Amino acid sequence: MAGVLFEDIFDVKDIDQDGKKFDRVSRLFCESESFKMDLILDVNTLIYPVELGDKFRLVIATTLREDGCPDDGEFNPTSSGPSRADQFEYVMYGKVYRIEGDDGSQDASRLAAYVSFGGLLMRLKGDPNNLHGFELDSRIYLMMKKLAF
Amino acid sequence: MVKEQFRETDLAKKISHVTFGSMSPEEMQRASHLHVVNKTLYSQDAKNKPCPNGVLDHRMGTSEKDNNCDTCGKVLAECTGHFGYIDLELPVYHVGHFRTTVTLLQMICKSCSAILLSDQQKENYHRSLKRPNLSYLQKKSLRKQIYDACRKVKTCPICGTHNGMVKKVGLFRIAHDQSHQGRKSEGILKERVEAFDFAAKCNSELSSLMSKNYEVLNPVIVHELFKRIQESDIPLLLMNPEVSRPEDLIITRLFVPPICIRPSVVSDLKSGTNEDDVTMKLTEIMMVNEIIQRLRATGAKVQMYMEDWDYVQLHVALLYNSETSGIPLSMQPKKKTRGFVQRLKGKQGRFRGNLSGKRVDFSGRTVISPDPNMRIDQVAVPIHVAKVMTYPERVCPANLAFLQSLVLNGCDVHPGANFIKIKSTGERKFLRYGKRSHIANSLRYGDIVERHMVDGDVVLFNRQPSLHKLSIQAFYAKVMPNRTFRFNECCCGPFNADFDGDEMNLHLPQTEEAKAEAITLMGSKSNITTPRNGEPLIAAIQDFITGAYLMTQKDIFFDRSRACQLICSMLVGKDKGMKIDLPPPAIWKPCKLWTGKQVFSLLMRPNKECPVKVNLRTKGKNYSQNEDLCSNDSFVVIHNSEIMCGYVDKATLGSGSKKTIFYLILRDYGEEAGADALSRLARLCPAFLSHHGFSIGIGDVTPGEGLIRKKQGLLKKGYDACDNYIRDLEDGRLQPQPGCTEEETLEAKILKELSVIRDHAGKACLEELHKTNSPLNMAVCGSKGSFINISQMIACVGQQAISGKRVPNGFEDRALPHFPRFSKDPAARGFVSNSFYTGLTPTEFFFHTMAGREGLVDTAVKTAETGYMQRRLVKSLEDLCLQYDATVRTSMGEVVQFEYGEDGLDPADMEGNEKPVDFSRLLNHIKSIMAAECRDEPSLNGEQTLTQVKDVLETASWTAVHKSFKTDLTEFFYNTAKKINELRQRFQVEALAESSPVLLQLERLTTSMVGRFMEVCLNKYNRALMEPGEAVGAVCAQSIGEPGTQMTLKTFHFAGVASMNITQGVPRIKEIINASKSISTPIITAELEDSRDPELARRVKGRIERTSLGEVSEYLEEVYLPDDCFILIKLDVDRIRLLKLEVSVHSIAQSILASKLKVRAPDIKVHSDAVLSVSSTASSKVSVYYRLQELKKSLGGVTIIGIPSVNRAVIHEDQGVYKLLIEGDNLGGVMGAQGVDGSRARSNNTFEVWRTLGIEAARVTIMQEITGTMQGHGMSIDARHTMLLADLMTYRGEVLGITRFGLAKMKESVLMLASFEKTAEHLFQAAYFGQRDAICGVSECIIMGIPMSLGTGVFKLLYRARQPPVIHTRPILLDFHTPEFS
Repeated sequence: MAGVLFEDIFDVKDIDQDGKKFDRVSRLFCESESFKMDLILDVNTLIYPVELGDKFRLVIATTLREDGCPDDGEFNPTSSGPSRADQFEYVMYGKVYRIEGDDGSQDASRLAAYVSFGGLLMRLKGDPNNLHGFELDSRIYLMMKKLAF
Repeated sequence: MVKEQFRETDLAKKISHVTFGSMSPEEMQRASHLHVVNKTLYSQDAKNKPCPNGVLDHRMGTSEKDNNCDTCGKVLAECTGHFGYIDLELPVYHVGHFRTTVTLLQMICKSCSAILLSDQQKENYHRSLKRPNLSYLQKKSLRKQIYDACRKVKTCPICGTHNGMVKKVGLFRIAHDQSHQGRKSEGILKERVEAFDFAAKCNSELSSLMSKNYEVLNPVIVHELFKRIQESDIPLLLMNPEVSRPEDLIITRLFVPPICIRPSVVSDLKSGTNEDDVTMKLTEIMMVNEIIQRLRATGAKVQMYMEDWDYVQLHVALLYNSETSGIPLSMQPKKKTRGFVQRLKGKQGRFRGNLSGKRVDFSGRTVISPDPNMRIDQVAVPIHVAKVMTYPERVCPANLAFLQSLVLNGCDVHPGANFIKIKSTGERKFLRYGKRSHIANSLRYGDIVERHMVDGDVVLFNRQPSLHKLSIQAFYAKVMPNRTFRFNECCCGPFNADFDGDEMNLHLPQTEEAKAEAITLMGSKSNITTPRNGEPLIAAIQDFITGAYLMTQKDIFFDRSRACQLICSMLVGKDKGMKIDLPPPAIWKPCKLWTGKQVFSLLMRPNKECPVKVNLRTKGKNYSQNEDLCSNDSFVVIHNSEIMCGYVDKATLGSGSKKTIFYLILRDYGEEAGADALSRLARLCPAFLSHHGFSIGIGDVTPGEGLIRKKQGLLKKGYDACDNYIRDLEDGRLQPQPGCTEEETLEAKILKELSVIRDHAGKACLEELHKTNSPLNMAVCGSKGSFINISQMIACVGQQAISGKRVPNGFEDRALPHFPRFSKDPAARGFVSNSFYTGLTPTEFFFHTMAGREGLVDTAVKTAETGYMQRRLVKSLEDLCLQYDATVRTSMGEVVQFEYGEDGLDPADMEGNEKPVDFSRLLNHIKSIMAAECRDEPSLNGEQTLTQVKDVLETASWTAVHKSFKTDLTEFFYNTAKKINELRQRFQVEALAESSPVLLQLERLTTSMVGRFMEVCLNKYNRALMEPGEAVGAVCAQSIGEPGTQMTLKTFHFAGVASMNITQGVPRIKEIINASKSISTPIITAELEDSRDPELARRVKGRIERTSLGEVSEYLEEVYLPDDCFILIKLDVDRIRLLKLEVSVHSIAQSILASKLKVRAPDIKVHSDAVLSVSSTASSKVSVYYRLQELKKSLGGVTIIGIPSVNRAVIHEDQGVYKLLIEGDNLGGVMGAQGVDGSRARSNNTFEVWRTLGIEAARVTIMQEITGTMQGHGMSIDARHTMLLADLMTYRGEVLGITRFGLAKMKESVLMLASFEKTAEHLFQAAYFGQRDAICGVSECIIMGIPMSLGTGVFKLLYRARQPPVIHTRPILLDFHTPEFS
């Protein structure tokens, strides 16, 4: 699929490690099944509750359009039509603002990409090969759908 | 009246200098218009006319509206007044010159008036006096030298007469002691004494008085003596013969001042008039003068009018100075009057009250109130004010229609006008009456309309106390209804204003030039940062911070309508109709939601056309760990004006930090953009907050179960700890801290224990209280209040301290009668365990009031102290200014600094820590803003970056840049390159780049980024260069004085070691700038040669600390044997060993010999290693017994080792590094002590450092001490300011204090010194010396009303004439050389 940067299935390993600090937002600590990526993600649990142990499919794309054409970054409230979002339960829009080498861990070749969805943070950490297409200051969509099991 | 712009006159009239001097009687006569002879004030006939030739004669001017001056015929307002004179029948001394008169008499021969110097001496002094440009200070010291030389001469070298001591005896009486000391039987004296022989025989009491032979020198004699002083000798008295002669110091003729300075007030209540003190005094003098005149005319004896003469003398003195001291009780005037001196001196006096500060027109004052709808450069002016304060606008084609409409409106309708001035006739018309439509139609170009203040006029806005230049700023007026001045709360900071009833002043500049200069130099937008250290002062405060904090929380979401509504609240005023680009929602599905951070980001960059891109990474107040992923969300990252994570708080919005959003916008995108963003914040946050709701109630301060339990636990723990300490003390187990008694140690420990309870309670509150708690929210985001405040309200008020200690015993051995005696319990010594919510017990309340009162007294004292300090600082620094050659000079042209602050940069423009650019922030910024446009460029590696930087640094535009800046820049890039290379190596980027290009994103830097970075750096550097003309001195004075007002007065703190108190705060700053010779806590910090050796530290301590014999001896006892008696001293050898003292019996014997006890060497006998004896022999005066007793008493105090002036030395340990802190002076001694690393020993006593190490070391000490003290109070001042102050205090080669004594050595100008302190003394002294005062300093220029050479006045326009000057060749007068053959 054009425009998709990353796709995998994640397990929720932990929620709010340092205690719940915000009423409507929780921080999920997840790990992916196929690429062994680490994921930290803030989710508005009021409108999309997530439980410990949940499993979800996560897609990161540069556009919501089915044809994969990049969008112009403008918000158009009237636009309708087919969208990738239709297949997902929870969709966020944000910006890649930081790509860093991972400090501290023994495995020196891991990279971390930081994305902010209007203040809700995501950190995706793992092998650089899986972070293709992440560029500083670029806009991305995050799409989630819980998997039944 | 239009105020003409000031232009220096092209005439020959210009005040070049002012000369002081005493007027001779002849000059007085010449300057006067009449001889005042009539003692009566008013003629007795009914008309009540002033008597002709009386003191109120109208020829000296007028004080009434209906009487014109008889001399010039002008009216009251125009007549400047004319002088008269009174001739005194007998001369009197001048009260201001009395002391000088005495010194002059001491310098001359009392019979021939010659200077008491030999010809050789005269020659020498004449030579040094002939030096041109002798400074005032040199003159004074020369006079002192000559005076001292003269006093040594007893016999006049010219006439050979004996000259004794001349001294003041009683009030206004000078006596000359003619008796030769010790030589009674010689010369004239012998004859005189012999003349009394018979009398002495009859009266035995007389003979004892005969040796004293005083001659009273009355004013007549002195006048005669002074008159006879030769013209050639006058320079030796340091007088200026062109201006005045010695005899002018004696008053023979009184100057009668004009009527207008001593107006008579016709009172309505009772008939007659009230006369001024001066008039009354003059009539009194005239009256007695007339009596003397009459008596003398009848040939009366001197004795008959002696008393009257004294009376005249006293009253002439009182006329000049009514505070003359030493008047006998019988002669003391009943009523207190105001003499000339009193009119001049003091705050309300002529100098400070009328000459240095003047009252102005076009100003207003009223209460202020806040208005977040105002932009930060606007002030709302009430219509009432706008209608009174007018601006004279000249009619021109552009404004004709506008002004016509104003004229039509007249005085009473707001945009109107009050007067017009017609150019052709010069007539001024009031617009309330008359036909306005006619006037409006007849307006011609060039006429002047005095229109009301309208929107957009530039006004100056000011609040007292005006402590720094930001206390007066230019705003744009906005005329509004109601009665207060209103402005944006963000502007409170620089004025230090609040709205509890504060009043502020408003001024309306009257010319276009003044307006333009005001708004560019003083505009509030141009003064967002303080010149003290470059931090912003105008920034979000209080509710704006709270609102922004709540809004940027992670769990704030808006739907589209709510988001748009909030955004629309920003669209007012200038931003009305601005395009907003609503970003796509952060949450797209299940429903579209925008976060608070997204909405907030729009105030920085509302649309995509807006160039403002803020980039910031900084820790917030509650930062925990993991940078971006901080679980409290307190790490703020802003990327291209979008908040990525973190909530904003005081640290990112407020004043006093350079890491705030608005500061970054201001520095990177200009003041307009910064002001716009701030205005948007002022609209957005209240809009959000009013919907969100933010209120406080009793519920907010009610502690919950958990909190109460925690508090009880804390209290119990603290109390138990205190009890343990007390028990330890009682059992003697308490280990005293170095240099403290056990009691002191206990107090220190308990105080520490109790003080932390409150802090811990505050932390408990943070944990326990719900996060919607309003006070807590305010404390967390920093908008108002602290955790201590919350803790006091909810949990525990805490320990009440009085002058840094627990409550003292104010009642027999206890603080209050409610407690047992000597109780050391927390509660008995002022610990308040209740909170304000639970309420205080009576004793607790009383302790609380004690601490409260201390605070009140402190503030009251502090304001007076710091105000005076500020005044002194400003007076001494006011005329320093940056010249075009980049030096800092005084107004006299003396260089104080060759380059301002050693790099010539303006502290207001420092973005980094006292550096013009914060490189890492800037690089981050450049990277972020250029990430999108450089997406296709290759990333650079370390080497490529460095070469590019080096190339740029060598281009022409970088040649003028200071070396230090270039070094900093290179070093920064060196580190950056290193980091890039390390990363590349770790990730093997070179190899893997093909397969995973994402690796190239790491620390990505491209050519154009580096290029832009260098460009911006250069730009910022050039912008930060200080401009010539800048009043660096005044700014320095304000920057040091203003934070002083915010410091608490009495704070002591521990310098690492307990019990080592160092004076801090205002008293310390005062000590430093006064350059006090002995400071209250002198401390020498001595580094050791081997800083890791505690043994060495102890030994060195023993060498330095003063140890007396008594401290190391077991006993000192008298021994009486049949054949001998002596004092036996037994040394405590163990103690000596323990203290590591390097003494032996023999060295102690030497010490005793060297002491002032007058013990002779044979008297001391050393018996063993620990025993020695001191014997004594009887002398003629004292017996052996008493001598022994005396010895026994004083032997204990003999210093056996150490530096006598050192009282105490404390070993300071910091992570295994030992150093000595030594209380006391004598830096030289400490440096010389064995084991001390002399090159690293420091003292905090500037005077001591100057004496020991020289002036440069003193300068550095001053800088370090000021910076250190300020930092102790959390205040930072740019090093350039302290440097300038230190330079000013040391540039004369000695440490001069900022006091009247130091100032007199720094400045020449009499006017400046007179306007500072001791007004009259300086003026009289200047008159004696005939001092010539060039008008160049700031004070002098203000007094004279001429523009000063500072700021925009520093340059003069030099005009090069276009044509070569025409030289008229005149024919040669005597034509010898005419070449005949040419």
